Amino acid sequence: MSTTVNNPTHAAEPVRRSAVTKAQIKGSSAARRARSTRIKLWLGTILTLIVVVPIAMANLLPIADPNMQDLGARRLAPLVDGHLFGTDQLGRDLLARVLFGGQTSLMIGVLAVVVSGAVGVILGSIAGFYGKWADVIISRVLEAQLSLPLLMMLLLVVALFGPSIPVITGVIAIAQWPEVARLTRSLVLVEREKPYVDAAKTLGLPKVQILAQHVIPNIFKQASLVILLLLAQAVLLESALSFLGAGPQRPFSTWGRLISDGQDYITTSWWMVTLPGLFIVVLVVGVNLLGDALRDGNLRRSSKKEGK
Amino acid sequence: MTAEFSTPQMSRRQLLKLASAAGLFAAVGVSATACAGPTGLPGKDTLTLALNRSLVSLDNKLNQFDAAVTVQRSVREGLTAIGPDIAPIPMLAESMKMTAPTRWTVKLREGITYSDGRKVKPKDVATALEMYSKVQGSFVASFFPEFPTVTEVDERNFHLDSKGPIPILDALMALILISPAEDNKAEELQTGVGTGPYVVQSFDRGAGTYTLVKNEKYWGEPAPVRQVNVRFLPEESSRVIALRSGEVDVIDSISPNSMEQLQGLPGVTIETASSLRLNQIFYNFRKPKSHPLSDAKVRQALSYAVDGQALVHDVLIDTVEQAQGVTPTSLTGFAKTGDYVYDPGKAKSMLADLGVDDLKLKIIWETGEFPSDTAIMEALVQMFGDIGVKTELQQFEPGGNILQWRQGKEGDWDLLGNGFSSPTGLAITMLQGMYAGTSEKEKTRDTYQGYVIPSVERKIVRAASEVDQAKRTAYLKDAQQAVWDTWPCAWAFTPKSILARRDRVQNLELSAANAYPLARVGLES
Amino acid sequence: MLTYLPKRIGQGLLTVFLTVSVVFLLIRMAPGDPAASFAGPLATSEQLAAVREQFGLDKPLFEQYIIFIGQLFTGHLGQSYSFQAPAVQVVMDRLPYTLTLATSSILLAAVVAIPLGMWMARRSDTDAELGVNVLTIAGQSMPDFWTGIMLLTGFSVIIPLFPASGFTTWGGLVLPTITVAILQVALISRMVKREMVNNFNAPYLNIARSRGVSERVLTWRYALGNAGIPVFTALGTRFAAMLNGVVVVEVVFGWPGVGSLIVRALETRDYPLIQATVLITALLAVAVQLLIDLAYPLLDPRVRLGKAASA
Repeated sequence: MSTTVNNPTHAAEPVRRSAVTKAQIKGSSAARRARSTRIKLWLGTILTLIVVVPIAMANLLPIADPNMQDLGARRLAPLVDGHLFGTDQLGRDLLARVLFGGQTSLMIGVLAVVVSGAVGVILGSIAGFYGKWADVIISRVLEAQLSLPLLMMLLLVVALFGPSIPVITGVIAIAQWPEVARLTRSLVLVEREKPYVDAAKTLGLPKVQILAQHVIPNIFKQASLVILLLLAQAVLLESALSFLGAGPQRPFSTWGRLISDGQDYITTSWWMVTLPGLFIVVLVVGVNLLGDALRDGNLRRSSKKEGK
Repeated sequence: MTAEFSTPQMSRRQLLKLASAAGLFAAVGVSATACAGPTGLPGKDTLTLALNRSLVSLDNKLNQFDAAVTVQRSVREGLTAIGPDIAPIPMLAESMKMTAPTRWTVKLREGITYSDGRKVKPKDVATALEMYSKVQGSFVASFFPEFPTVTEVDERNFHLDSKGPIPILDALMALILISPAEDNKAEELQTGVGTGPYVVQSFDRGAGTYTLVKNEKYWGEPAPVRQVNVRFLPEESSRVIALRSGEVDVIDSISPNSMEQLQGLPGVTIETASSLRLNQIFYNFRKPKSHPLSDAKVRQALSYAVDGQALVHDVLIDTVEQAQGVTPTSLTGFAKTGDYVYDPGKAKSMLADLGVDDLKLKIIWETGEFPSDTAIMEALVQMFGDIGVKTELQQFEPGGNILQWRQGKEGDWDLLGNGFSSPTGLAITMLQGMYAGTSEKEKTRDTYQGYVIPSVERKIVRAASEVDQAKRTAYLKDAQQAVWDTWPCAWAFTPKSILARRDRVQNLELSAANAYPLARVGLES
Repeated sequence: MLTYLPKRIGQGLLTVFLTVSVVFLLIRMAPGDPAASFAGPLATSEQLAAVREQFGLDKPLFEQYIIFIGQLFTGHLGQSYSFQAPAVQVVMDRLPYTLTLATSSILLAAVVAIPLGMWMARRSDTDAELGVNVLTIAGQSMPDFWTGIMLLTGFSVIIPLFPASGFTTWGGLVLPTITVAILQVALISRMVKREMVNNFNAPYLNIARSRGVSERVLTWRYALGNAGIPVFTALGTRFAAMLNGVVVVEVVFGWPGVGSLIVRALETRDYPLIQATVLITALLAVAVQLLIDLAYPLLDPRVRLGKAASA
């Protein structure tokens, strides 16, 4: 993974005597890459904020009550009668439903990532640090889960425990922990060979303490880079479950359910499917871009460190 | 250098070839089963129906949802059929007469044969009855007080004998479809022949598609269409799109929303028929005595909170009628007992007078129990909220444990969204099914949501066993009034069966049972 | 190799066995009663009990499990409740549809993603590439059911080019294939790009370049050739995952495949059918994965099976 090691080390001279012009530096691959990372970072931030800020402030914004029905104003098109996104089949304001639905969807997403992150880091580092049977068992479980019909299992589990927010959160966490665990395991495998671990062992620290106090903090930053990508996946997974009917009980609106309700009206009321879907897309694109940019940035920084 | 690499490269090429061959094979495997036309539009003499449920087989004894029956009856027929005026008309039987209180005498049609040329014999009827009786929890079986036995006279004549009198046996035999005795078994019949106007040319159980072609040897008037394709499109929105584009000709059992989307489109016609079904928001009758809902006055008060007109007009797009009693108006023996009135002020004051405050309700229902079910339930939450009653919803997905809940074994609830139909077309069937609960039946939780009111039950039994026509009508009215006065439902309505067809489809007569005789359906040339 | 293959097959079978066992337990723990779904709302408690006995559900769980294991060995997994036909047969009826959709999607994905990824690698970090990159991220961010409904609205409703649902003509394959392929294109093209950029920066390429190998050969044979293995693996793994049924897309398009079958089987609590579906799809997925691993040495002479165990 050696990136361009040729030029930047010599650039630290006090007076710059080089035939290389600024324009050429700007055109160098390293500079270009930095630029696209920066653009991604900005774009990602803007897109994420476009969705997250209104959702977070939904309670403060001057919008209608998401559950307030008006049977006389059913399926109004966007911009009619002050309904920015139009209304749904019961005359509820679609914008309000999308925003308040987003609170549910986002909360589930964030909680799921926290849970799967915690489980993944703990189990992954146990597998990587202790090795032997712990590694065998955890790796096997990871592998087995890959060959499972995931969505079906999730539907089953939701049916089993009932579609409440904690259950759906848990289910998404189950789906996601392998990714974190695998990454953590590979990071810990590298980390445990480092001298400071040996030093700690020599000092007689118990293994658990070495793992918890020294190894995990050292890998945590790298492992946390996947969090944004996981959040994007969690939002998508939640909407898919809701779409298939395994969402939290009504009248809670979630994005997936708004789309599945709107599906019955696609020939006459395009906005009922399109707009909630766009909200999901904008959020997930934003989060993915952010995650991508952070990962790119991190890769470069770490390869720079190796260079020195 | 190239020589060194040549081996793996060769293999890679082979591998790719292998992979594409495998892909091709998979694709061809399907094309062999799917009957593919190039455009997707049905031909001039081909009628295409899209059902919303998969037609697992044409075996009527195990698959009895409405549209399935339409298709099944075009392949297999009964001794009789229910005609347009809800009276039985002879089919395989030339005549069917009650010759003694417990005996019906049947004469088969002269020279009647199955599509493969075999003769129809009395034994076929005997076997069919036996197979229908073996099905557990069968819908058809529930209408037979007992299954009659066949006593053969000769190869065309036989008797149907029973222990007690079955005065409506000629109507009931319309429900039993006849197959050759030697092919009939208790398991699902995946294939096989019948006497109907169409024969099965091919079917694909995986996709739920059937291709029927005209039976050239049909005993009656031959079908006007050469070929009928039956398809399975589970999503309502897909069926609507397919009808719009002309890809299919008929979609049945559609929701009010879909009707609204299709209404007024060029080339599409909507057919409706009154149905034999009553959809209700039914109270839980297993509440303890101390609970407000066990007081009929409270139940009545809550019903004033429901704006039925708005639900009918705005949510159900005028495709339903509010109930005017405890059975649908279309049933024989229906009596008008009252109306559901919207008066939230009265609801509030009544509840206050009864000392009921802080009432919380939970409504349960299964997705798809009736059209626009979720919209109705969400609207109800708002309506009850307007009189200060907090309401919670619990929706069950198909296959979930709503049965356990209904029986009160899993959790507590207050209102149930449920439908009940009376395929016999008689009001008494519905009364018996819903309101004739006894404490004996309640022991196994086999009553309708715990409805056990002995005085009502006695009135229903009296009406059911009365032979005198005039007295019976009076007793029926009395029983229905008694049920109404207990306020079993917060609201109830009779849906219409709705079907949409392309204009080129002709002579489609939708019946109250939400089926139609396929034999007469034709196509504009 | 001689010890490798049996070991891998054994591991695969163990995974499948554990999977079906977990499913066996889960569906029986989940609320809902197959008898109630089968006998309908009018059935009395007595009739329900009879149905349960007929299905063998009155037996203790452990006994049912032993019977199930016996069935695994005979390959006959019992009658589907709702289809009243051997469950394995019902799944086999649906499998060709899922295979067709999976094959066409993966082919489309490969045909689009590989050239796209190469282009992105060559134009790495230009404005045009950045634009395409953002687009692929968007492709990866769209919920597939929404993409499907949007395509339906566009090309079945507004411009009625393709049938909305089902598979009775080849036109019916187009929209579901595109819906499935969009996500795959997004993922695979970015992977191709990453792999090729890594190869472009690798020392061997600089050496080859300094020896005067033409840029075209460098791109096609050297960089793409070496990027091929991980890309091939990814395509294979994605294909294997699709064999479980592309549940959501199959539901949206009424595709008569394994995915919509399993949703239906869940709705009717059709235990034998659920078990048969899981067994067959898991076996297939494991087999495809094994084939991919076996193909490694053909693609890359450096790999020796059994030695370079891919963890």
